[in-house]
Amino acid sequence: MLEGVDLDVEPGQFVSLVGPSGSGKTSVLRAVTELQPLEAGSVELDVAKNEVGFLFQDDALLPWRTARQNVALGLRIQGAESERADEEADRWLTLLGLARFGDRYPLQLSGGQRKRVAMAQVLALEPKLLLMDEPFASLDAIVRMRITEELLGWVEREHLAVLLVTHDLEEAISLSDVVYVLSQGPRARVRARHAVDIERPRHVLESRQSPVFATLLQTLWSDLEDEADLDAVDFGSQVPEATT
Amino acid sequence: MSARFQTATVRRAGALVFLLALWESVSRLGWVDPFYAPPPSDVAGVMFTLFGDASFWGHLEATFLAAFAGLVGGLMLGIVLGFAAALSPLLADVLEPVMIMLNAIPRVILAPLFVIWLGIDLASKVALALVLVTVLIFFAVFSGIKEVDQRLVERVRTLGGGRRVLIREVYVPSVTAWVMGNLKIAVGFAFTGAVVGEFVASSRGLGYLLQFAQSTYNAGLTIALIVMIMAFVLVLFALAERLERRLLRWRYS
Repeated sequence: MLEGVDLDVEPGQFVSLVGPSGSGKTSVLRAVTELQPLEAGSVELDVAKNEVGFLFQDDALLPWRTARQNVALGLRIQGAESERADEEADRWLTLLGLARFGDRYPLQLSGGQRKRVAMAQVLALEPKLLLMDEPFASLDAIVRMRITEELLGWVEREHLAVLLVTHDLEEAISLSDVVYVLSQGPRARVRARHAVDIERPRHVLESRQSPVFATLLQTLWSDLEDEADLDAVDFGSQVPEATT
Repeated sequence: MSARFQTATVRRAGALVFLLALWESVSRLGWVDPFYAPPPSDVAGVMFTLFGDASFWGHLEATFLAAFAGLVGGLMLGIVLGFAAALSPLLADVLEPVMIMLNAIPRVILAPLFVIWLGIDLASKVALALVLVTVLIFFAVFSGIKEVDQRLVERVRTLGGGRRVLIREVYVPSVTAWVMGNLKIAVGFAFTGAVVGEFVASSRGLGYLLQFAQSTYNAGLTIALIVMIMAFVLVLFALAERLERRLLRWRYS
């Protein structure tokens, strides 16, 4: 499905991968985490396998475990004792504004709360490389903005390397240092690489006011428009008029 | 307790009382032959006598013992075989057709065979209940594991979980949900197996009493036994439901 995809993520660098649906954006992340075997090519990690965190598109948590147990699970797998893991899980839930929800089951939480638990689950393992697959797609605009803001703050403070897959061009630009554009699949390849020259630390909404943002959005849009099969391009509400 | 629930209860109780009164009067008035349909008050009298009769408790014990042994054994066997088949393709190839064949027949027809093999005592009744429950639970576990939410599997794997963690955190809990969903059916099956087994050939049990009542054309005793078996199974259903709500509390509330 993918061919000639060559990506680099440096420590402390926020990299986004945008492209048409079906271009195999998700496959890149799945290959990095070995959920999907590679037919050719290689993934070179400078960090240990357990230092890679994967934040998925959906917020599927173990439904039979409480929020606390879900967060503690990763810690316990990494060898923490269960009491220690529970304390740590509570600390992370508190950090993400879920202090009172540790004993709730996922079905008793809202979509935004579940997403926060999923974030706590991944961040509690203190990954050095964070992979994200459209993690906020299912959230409503306000919750999405707040969670994105929190995550961005965390990533900037901790100098995490991030690889974000998204089809939201504005999200990609406002968060990233580098945006890669994938071409239409099958046999997708990297079509373009753009550096995003907006200062850090950033504020998601403010960075959208930057002149760099507007220009780059226009560029990305035309990159993708050039992809032959326009009908198959699915960018939701990403209309180019928003840039003027 | 909601008003809707209370209304429903009142309506149901009303309908039941009405039907019993209707049956009582047509039977008393001789519109239907009491020989075939003895009035409910007579049936209640028969039940009362049964409970007062010391030998009845022995019959009750025999049936419950057979049903419980078959239920517990069938649950264990079904879970073990289901897990084994789901985890080992070799076992799946062998077990699945056997289970499909057993599933394809009304399993109670195995009763005569079990009597021939195991005699008319408890063992043949347990065997029948066991076969009924095992096949049910096998498929619940087997398909439960196959249809486990792959997103959860991937989630646990990216958190660093291996096979053991996956089984403990994902497979066992999701199979528990499937088995619990089938527990009530399994309780019903276990009693079906025990009573039918006794009905075919035995010297004890509610099924034996049923057989006796039938051979003596005692409709009152027959109806009394049927109503009692129904009541027992309903009580067990309620217990099974409480267990289900406890084990699957993440699903309720």
